[in-house]
Amino acid sequence: MKKIFLSTIALSLLLISPIMGNEEKELTGDELMSKSNQAFYYAGKDGSSDVEMTIRDAQGGTRTRSMTILRRNEGENQKYYVYFRSPADVRRMAYLVWKNVKGDDDRWLFLPALNLERRIAPGDKRTSFVGSDFFYEDVSGRNLTDDTHELVETTDEYYVVSNKPKVPNSVEFAEYKVWLDKTTFIPMRSEYYDKNGKLYRTVESKKVEEIDGYYTVMEAVASDLITGSSTVNSFSNVRYNLDLNANIFSQRFLRRPPREVTSRK
Amino acid sequence: MNKVDSSQKMINNDAEADLIVPKESDEAGFARWKTWLPEIGLRFPVLTILVTLVITVLFAMQFPKVTFDNDPENMLSKQEPIRVFNDQIKAKYALYDFVIVGVVNDADPNGIFNVTTLNRLDQLTHELLSLKRGEDGLPRVTRKGDDGTYREETLDLRPAGRRDRILATVFNQNSNDLFIENEDGSYSSAIINHELIAPSLVDNIKQAELGSLKMEYLMENPPETEEDALVIRNDAMSNPLYSGTLVAEDEQAICIYIPIITKNYSYNVSQLVEALTADWDGDDLVMITGQPVAQDTFGVQMLTQMAVSAPLAGLVIFLLLLYFFKRLQLIIAPMLVALISVITTMGLLIGLGYDVHIMSSMIAIFLIPISVSDSVHILSQFYDYYPQFKDKAKTIRHVMSYLFMPMLYTSLTTLVGFASLATTPIPPVKVFGLHVAFGVAVAWLLTMVLVPAYIMLAVSNKSLKQAEQRPLVEDDTSNADFMTRFLERIGFLAARRPRTSVFVITVLIAIAIAGIMRIRVNDNPIKWFTRSHPIRVADDELNRHFGGTYTAYLSFSAVDADAADCMTKGAIMKKAAEERFAAKFPAETKRFMSAIDGLLPLYRNVFTADANRCFVDLVREAERIDDDTGAAWNTLADTINYLDSEGLTKEVLLKALSEETEIDNSIRALFEDQFAAVSDEMDGADLQDAALDICDEFTDLSFRDFVFEQQAELEAPLFKRPEMLRYLQDLQEHIIKSEVVGKTSSAVDALIKGAYELAYVEAPSDATEEERIEMEKINEANKAVPSTAAAVGQVFTQLEGMKRRDYLFHMVTRNYQEANLWVQLKSGDNIDMETVVEDVHEYIENNPPPVALDVGWSGMTYINVVWQDKMVTGMFGSLASSFLIVFIMMVALYRSVLFGLLSMIPLSVTILVSYGMIGWLGKDYDMPIAVLSALTLGMSVDFAVHFLQRARDEVALRGSWLKALPIMFRVPAVAISRNAITIALGFMPLLAAPLLPYKTVGSFLAAIMVLSWIATLLILPALLSLFERRAFPNTAKK
Repeated sequence: MKKIFLSTIALSLLLISPIMGNEEKELTGDELMSKSNQAFYYAGKDGSSDVEMTIRDAQGGTRTRSMTILRRNEGENQKYYVYFRSPADVRRMAYLVWKNVKGDDDRWLFLPALNLERRIAPGDKRTSFVGSDFFYEDVSGRNLTDDTHELVETTDEYYVVSNKPKVPNSVEFAEYKVWLDKTTFIPMRSEYYDKNGKLYRTVESKKVEEIDGYYTVMEAVASDLITGSSTVNSFSNVRYNLDLNANIFSQRFLRRPPREVTSRK
Repeated sequence: MNKVDSSQKMINNDAEADLIVPKESDEAGFARWKTWLPEIGLRFPVLTILVTLVITVLFAMQFPKVTFDNDPENMLSKQEPIRVFNDQIKAKYALYDFVIVGVVNDADPNGIFNVTTLNRLDQLTHELLSLKRGEDGLPRVTRKGDDGTYREETLDLRPAGRRDRILATVFNQNSNDLFIENEDGSYSSAIINHELIAPSLVDNIKQAELGSLKMEYLMENPPETEEDALVIRNDAMSNPLYSGTLVAEDEQAICIYIPIITKNYSYNVSQLVEALTADWDGDDLVMITGQPVAQDTFGVQMLTQMAVSAPLAGLVIFLLLLYFFKRLQLIIAPMLVALISVITTMGLLIGLGYDVHIMSSMIAIFLIPISVSDSVHILSQFYDYYPQFKDKAKTIRHVMSYLFMPMLYTSLTTLVGFASLATTPIPPVKVFGLHVAFGVAVAWLLTMVLVPAYIMLAVSNKSLKQAEQRPLVEDDTSNADFMTRFLERIGFLAARRPRTSVFVITVLIAIAIAGIMRIRVNDNPIKWFTRSHPIRVADDELNRHFGGTYTAYLSFSAVDADAADCMTKGAIMKKAAEERFAAKFPAETKRFMSAIDGLLPLYRNVFTADANRCFVDLVREAERIDDDTGAAWNTLADTINYLDSEGLTKEVLLKALSEETEIDNSIRALFEDQFAAVSDEMDGADLQDAALDICDEFTDLSFRDFVFEQQAELEAPLFKRPEMLRYLQDLQEHIIKSEVVGKTSSAVDALIKGAYELAYVEAPSDATEEERIEMEKINEANKAVPSTAAAVGQVFTQLEGMKRRDYLFHMVTRNYQEANLWVQLKSGDNIDMETVVEDVHEYIENNPPPVALDVGWSGMTYINVVWQDKMVTGMFGSLASSFLIVFIMMVALYRSVLFGLLSMIPLSVTILVSYGMIGWLGKDYDMPIAVLSALTLGMSVDFAVHFLQRARDEVALRGSWLKALPIMFRVPAVAISRNAITIALGFMPLLAAPLLPYKTVGSFLAAIMVLSWIATLLILPALLSLFERRAFPNTAKK
């Protein structure tokens, strides 16, 4: 992986925006989440990143997966290309996601060992991303209009925003709270509560670095408090504004991965 | 039970003559040490009664701490290897105990798949998920109202009837307890929501619009129309993981599996389900079963049983005694002894922290008849002798000194019989045996101390005066006459024709032994319920519709995790490389081979733990080879790949290539050569694909890719290897042939279903019928284990990412090194499980797996088999040891080996005949029957002790056995009969129980009492006639 860029999988990445100075006026929950979303999922016009994913189950066993993720912003929509590098049996497996803010996402997958490319029908985005504790929605972002957002607390370091689904039975959580870093707007911690008000899931940003001027999450952890499993995503080779060829995010590149994800010259 | 011959006065005629006249020597010689215990009661009656009362209250105070345990798993100690293994498997595969809710509809033409029922199931599922604890501690669920809105509703699951409510309060059972308290004081539902198995919550992978693949829940949305419902039916029936488990293959039933934190909640969860489905009308039948519910329900009913049967047994015995003895004052003492023995024994058990188990719930029922008989004998003799002494204390001293030895011995033998259960390896049986033994000792002690105290205080001299005028048993004549005449007749017959008797008995024994040979050892906790019990009905019904609700797990792990070393792998790789590359790239192939040869010696001596080590260096070399050969082709292909499809023509494409300077000219020429063959008409994406196809021929031959591919195959964990998965598939196909197995499920089923749906290609809408058929054939061919480990791995990765996370890992470990096969049996009969175990063992012997495997069974259905085996052998040991101890005691009592032997014979015949009967009747030898074997020994020897003791005395008194015979059949025989009848009838209330083990115990013990009564009165006279000389040497000589 010589050429690498930035991406945003799993609650990762960085913040653009910043430096809004010391605003006098208090931001609303909606504004904060919008800023955070921009910083976290939309940094740069495109990006690339390598991800080491470690899934640790309740018994202490671990599974690792390494991937390279490419992202390209197209207005408010985005395209993602996820390429698996290891373990050996899933090497060259690839996902393509076209995130459509107004409407269902488009998804494709390619399984090289079966020489198989399939379109995946739009479905629940709050399901596990490749068997990890991260959800698809953590990777590509949750639609801000699905929830109501309320600033519930401002500390020295964080804005704490409470988010509640507008359609209560549409998701498994009744509420999730996000701790946004006051300077970077990166969500440093998210807590998900069920209908009984019990905390059952957390997503944390463990390490944030500034890369090419963008605050970037370099390590994210999602924990399932019910099953006791957790997943750590470690990011490396993060790059922004690579001018990625738009053609990469097409089905043809599923079978024939782009140079950007293979280390082949 | 001591049936020391007591009731001399029961027979009116010759009564005085029959009495053994008290002798001075008795009083002086024995009295001191035989009566020191009664002396306490005689001298300090008030104190004795007070102390007894205080102690009893202390024991009774333990009662509220009572806990129950009906888990058959606890038939084995926690440290048993099989339980340790079972716990490991449960943890490894996240397996839980389930409450199984079956919904059956066989009236609707679409069976269970009708709109109403499916909507009900969906609602029930979400109601269960919504369960939470209200402020008032009552369960709350979110339910959909008639108007379609959702609202929270509070439920009260306590029983409606007052009696049941009182019982529940007394025994500390709260049906509303459905929550576990968290460390922070909040409460969580006892239902493990994320493991709930229901159509609305299990994954389905299916074909969707525009050739896409859909992964959602089987019943993502409840159906609104019949078509919707039928789609759900088709999806369910075509999924091998659900057909036969979640949905019945006859399409008439669906099961919801509710996993619970611990088994103790299962009864309450079943009550919850009943409350939530109470308003289901129409043809939907709700059936609740599953081993945990059965166990828990059993426990709750055990309470009723204990609260009803034991007092009932007490009442029956009380009435019988009243009928025999006609004096209330006299009967109170034995009843007190029984009551206090039971209270102290149960108090001890609870106080020591033992759970009340099915066995220990019967303690009262055993203790009542045993403890009553001791004191009855004392009292009846007391009334007999009182007229001679006219002094309560003196009479008691006399009676006690006479009865001391027989009472001690009969109590001891009973005690030994029960205590011998401590030698079994079954903890609840041990606890039961030792506690009843304790109770027998308490009863003996009470008889020795409390009964004298009772007489001193409660029996007035006035009433004793009246008693003198009135024979103890006045109107007993007709009844006694009938019994006497009958017994006399058989007894005389036996004694006069000893050889014929012995012959008849020998024949009987032979028949009994033949019966014992036919005994079928089998148990099934579900069959502990009577046939009409709702649990049993639900079990029958669901096992009729489904593959079976009895699950056992068969788990596999490699004996040696990674047997192949780098050398072996190198050899395999060389062979594969030869096949792949030699034709096209002979030089490069040679270079690659020598790279392998060069690297392998480095690892020759390293038995490396890092499996990837063999490949790391090789990948670098392969990359270099690729760079030297295929790099140009890759650049060329990449150039084409990145081009915009729109407006692409051959010309544009060739121009783009010519601008790429890195492409070697000879390669470019080779490409252009082949590209010329592509039609000039072609443009856009199609043209791009055609150009890439040309490159693929060369780019596909990458050594680097080859090494990774090989690594994926050679390093694949056991259960990603196609040959291993195929082995598992074959094994499953073999197991399902067994009649007792309804269904097996494994990761292979999930894999094949996944591979099929992933690779499925729908025929185009304009395809002909033939094309369609052809297409279906191709699709059907995908219903198989994929051919490479990488393909397997990629399908599994898709399954790992489905909505229902981790479902796969109930069947395979996360590292795919171990697998767990679910085997569902149609019945919980141990004998069926044993058949399957043997069958699988044989199959694996004959068809060794590709890699040596450790194979282990677990699951409750299997554990039942293990403890059953232990019980059968354990009970034999216990029987043998108590037989020996009782025999030694008998020899000591009579100071004669012959009498020792004689006293063992009737009970041996009793045991043989009663077990022979079980064999001939075809009744399974189950837990209750096994337990009874050892303890009947201790109980039935009493009759013989009594008979022989008296025979000795009578022969000494009358000079010969034949002269003693008539009196033997009038006095002691009648006493024995009364005892046998009392005890046998005392067990009768058990027959009314809704739980079969109680019925079994009741009828079996009654049968044993009657048998041993008859055996004693038949066999002993015959044997005494036969061995008269040796038995009574002194008198015989005369």
